[in-house]
Amino acid sequence: MTPFEIGLLSLAGMGAAVMLGLFVPIALIAASYLGVWAIKGSPLLASKLLALSANDSISSYFFGVVPLFVLMGFIVSEAGFGRDAFDVANALFRKLRGGLGVGTVGANAIFAAITGISIASAAVFTRIAVPQMIRHGYTPRFAVGVVAGSSVLGMLIPPSLLLILFGILSEQSIGDLFLAGVGPGLLLAVAYALGIVAMAIWWPGFVGTPDRDSDEGALTPGQFLAKGLPIALLIGLVLGGIYAGFFTPVEAGAMGAIGALLLGFGMRRLTLRRLWTVLVETGLVTATVCFLIIAAQMYSKMLALSGVPAGIGQFAANADLGLWGVMLIYVGIVIAMGMILDSSSIMLILVPLMLPVVVPMQVDLVWFGIVTVIAVEIGLLTPPFGLSVFVIKATLDDPSITLADIFAGALPFAVIMLAVLGLVMAFPPIATFLIQ
Amino acid sequence: DDFNVTIVAGHPPVFRWVRMMPEAFIPTVTAELTKLGHTVTFSEQYGGALAKVGDELEAVEAGLAEIGACSSLFDPAKLAVQNVTYYTPFVSSDVRLVGNVVNDLHANLPAMTEAYAENGVVYIGAPITIDDYLVMSNFPINSLADLQGRKIAAPGAAINWLSGTGAVGVAGNLTTYYNEIKTGVYNGVIVFASAALPGKLYEVAPHITRFGLGAQYSGSLCANKDWWDGLPAEVRTAFLAGSAAAQDWYTTDLENAVTGALAKMAEAGATVTEAPDDMRQAWADGMDNAAKKWATELDAQGKPASEILKTYMDAMRAAGAKPLRNWDQE
Amino acid sequence: MPDPRPDPAPLRLLDAVTQGLNVLGSALILVLMVLFGLDVGGRVLFNAPVSGVPELVTLSIVAIVFLQIPQALRSGRMTRSEGFLTMLHARAPVAARWIETLFDLIGIAVLWIIVSTTWPIFAKAWESNEFIGALGDFTAPVWPVKLTLMVGGAMLIAQFAARIWRRHLQ
Ligand code: NA
Ligand code: NA
Repeated sequence: MTPFEIGLLSLAGMGAAVMLGLFVPIALIAASYLGVWAIKGSPLLASKLLALSANDSISSYFFGVVPLFVLMGFIVSEAGFGRDAFDVANALFRKLRGGLGVGTVGANAIFAAITGISIASAAVFTRIAVPQMIRHGYTPRFAVGVVAGSSVLGMLIPPSLLLILFGILSEQSIGDLFLAGVGPGLLLAVAYALGIVAMAIWWPGFVGTPDRDSDEGALTPGQFLAKGLPIALLIGLVLGGIYAGFFTPVEAGAMGAIGALLLGFGMRRLTLRRLWTVLVETGLVTATVCFLIIAAQMYSKMLALSGVPAGIGQFAANADLGLWGVMLIYVGIVIAMGMILDSSSIMLILVPLMLPVVVPMQVDLVWFGIVTVIAVEIGLLTPPFGLSVFVIKATLDDPSITLADIFAGALPFAVIMLAVLGLVMAFPPIATFLIQ
Repeated sequence: DDFNVTIVAGHPPVFRWVRMMPEAFIPTVTAELTKLGHTVTFSEQYGGALAKVGDELEAVEAGLAEIGACSSLFDPAKLAVQNVTYYTPFVSSDVRLVGNVVNDLHANLPAMTEAYAENGVVYIGAPITIDDYLVMSNFPINSLADLQGRKIAAPGAAINWLSGTGAVGVAGNLTTYYNEIKTGVYNGVIVFASAALPGKLYEVAPHITRFGLGAQYSGSLCANKDWWDGLPAEVRTAFLAGSAAAQDWYTTDLENAVTGALAKMAEAGATVTEAPDDMRQAWADGMDNAAKKWATELDAQGKPASEILKTYMDAMRAAGAKPLRNWDQE
Repeated sequence: MPDPRPDPAPLRLLDAVTQGLNVLGSALILVLMVLFGLDVGGRVLFNAPVSGVPELVTLSIVAIVFLQIPQALRSGRMTRSEGFLTMLHARAPVAARWIETLFDLIGIAVLWIIVSTTWPIFAKAWESNEFIGALGDFTAPVWPVKLTLMVGGAMLIAQFAARIWRRHLQ
């Protein structure tokens, strides 16, 4: 058997094991082990790959800030600021069909301005928005789907750890990448909102039959201000701090957490006991997610050794189809890989393979980065490995909502992302208009 | 025979020290082995696909890759003595000279190659040199006093260079310099021209001051020891020819790039200033002798860093370099 | 449905230790936040950044994950797709239990590979005093993190084993 065939076989095996109910990280690790053993003919080498990956793959400044972004999110949620943002967004959109769904998207777009990772968005709004939506008559599937879908805004609207990673890999200005993320992020939020309203009108079987026209959710101007101010302060702190040069986007998670903590204690919305609960919760979500990322990176290294990605990359590079052909194949590959790998693994594998192909085609690498990030983020929503969906499952205290429900609920949003991706590809100024 | 060789590098192939593999190393090795009637297939794993920056040596040691760009700069615990140049600034700006001297050190000083052997790998040449470090800032530097209280980012051991200048050293890395200077997290960086140009650093830090902090050595190609020892001698020779070709390609390409880089940055509006000799000397004189501390610390661990420091400085002086401080003789 | 019988003493001890590690990991997150605060505050306000924060963050994340992953498994957070098993439990409960036990054994096996292969990495880091950072500026030893990985990995193995034990107590 060639390494290429082994790589493909391991894909099938891993997928089947996950479907049968083997823990996802364990399935990835086992598939990596067997895959490397088969490719290199040495179980010892396979063991070493596992151990080195466990020790090294998340051991970086970049991944080190993940718990801080999650912590910031949970403090925002525990102190009620996330709820406030949700109330504000909801008050604005409550007259719409599917208004709570639109409100969730809006609140996520606001929260995206302070978080650098999507898993924090997914965790926070699972807590805040899902129970509310279910209470108001939305189907659980739709409720978790909205949260999963809108969580991707967290890494498209700056700050964004994924855009930083792309900047590192391609030597592009992170500031430019951040600016380029704003347009597509807002466009995606609007597209989600339109999609939600449309689904609420024409697809009640999916959305449910939310109660309408109640005055619940209305806010007086005073309430509006009171609820909007804390989150506005936090956004001011995080974005202001980054753009005033007080701290880096990577440090923003910690600074946001400190800000939320001070604000929470200052407004008497937090107690030490609740802070402790938040810390434990942060730890569990971080551990779950990072353990998945470690496992996915083992798997991606096994795949790299199998030559499957390089073979596919070569195919895209040699396809001789012009820029559009290459881009379409590239995006297709990214989305396919997004089904089985985590975002950073896909970028680590594919971006270095593709840069030498697209650079001679005079591609604007900032635009290429945004296209890459949107395509990569579709993978957060697609089975069998969809990190946002996993986070929602891990945060949700409701065994009646299954992983399959969340994936199904997220599917329409993945489709909307695909449409927005197409628009950004066809009209690059959507991304680049803010850059001189 | 047919050889399957995996090459690992943590950096993506936008960097010259990765590009030297497809540009020079692989073609040369392939040609040499073909002459001998062998075939070879390379699997190139760059940009963190198999190992990230600083973890290449571990991947080669484990046998996940046969050959890697082993970084001493980013793996200072395992390749400790190799970092001799980063503790001896103001010695020489000549990348070719630094590369040759470090390559000779590896050939002549057993302690240099022992560091590799201890980690199950073999030094196979192609020293990765870094062109002369300079200061790029968003403020003009007319005297050393201008550095007082300014936040200057520096990579790894180079943060020691700022001791005595009054500048505040901030740990940073190449990939985020642009953004961090632009927003003001720091006011300047210690960086090299060949990276500053593609990174467009001159846009945010247009004051380029050449202090002659020096060219550096940051790593080399290494091979898995068991694999290497099992190769026929003629095949090893073919790989070494590849390393020699890579070193030559890399150094020539780098030298050309450096000359062009400074000119292009000046064209783009940057001011390039040559620091006067007394200012350079004042900087050098004001520094702690970090080399001494470094050598003493490693000596105590049984790694003869003092000997390596002396041999390196002697070789540089013998080749005509005029160090501003004789770090080994103080 | 909570099991009416209390766990046997070894399992209760295991859960207590698991929770202890969880507490340590959570505290470490708080420490990281404070470190970032001191570094940023020192740099902005007093021109005096704290050395070594990136290095400590780099080291801590691995420790945080491995300190807490046993508790994540214990509290049912580790990611899996339950659909098939739920169906099987309803139709063929015995088969379902044996499949779950097989899955737990696979978990034990892969974690054992990781922990036992980390042992030589830990030993080497300990003996040769491996560090992160730059000599002369800031250095921190890496062996504590490797040790934490092994401890956390071992506890995760124990929690997988405890699942089997509990399953066959029922
Ligand atoms: Na964001
Ligand atoms: Na996916």
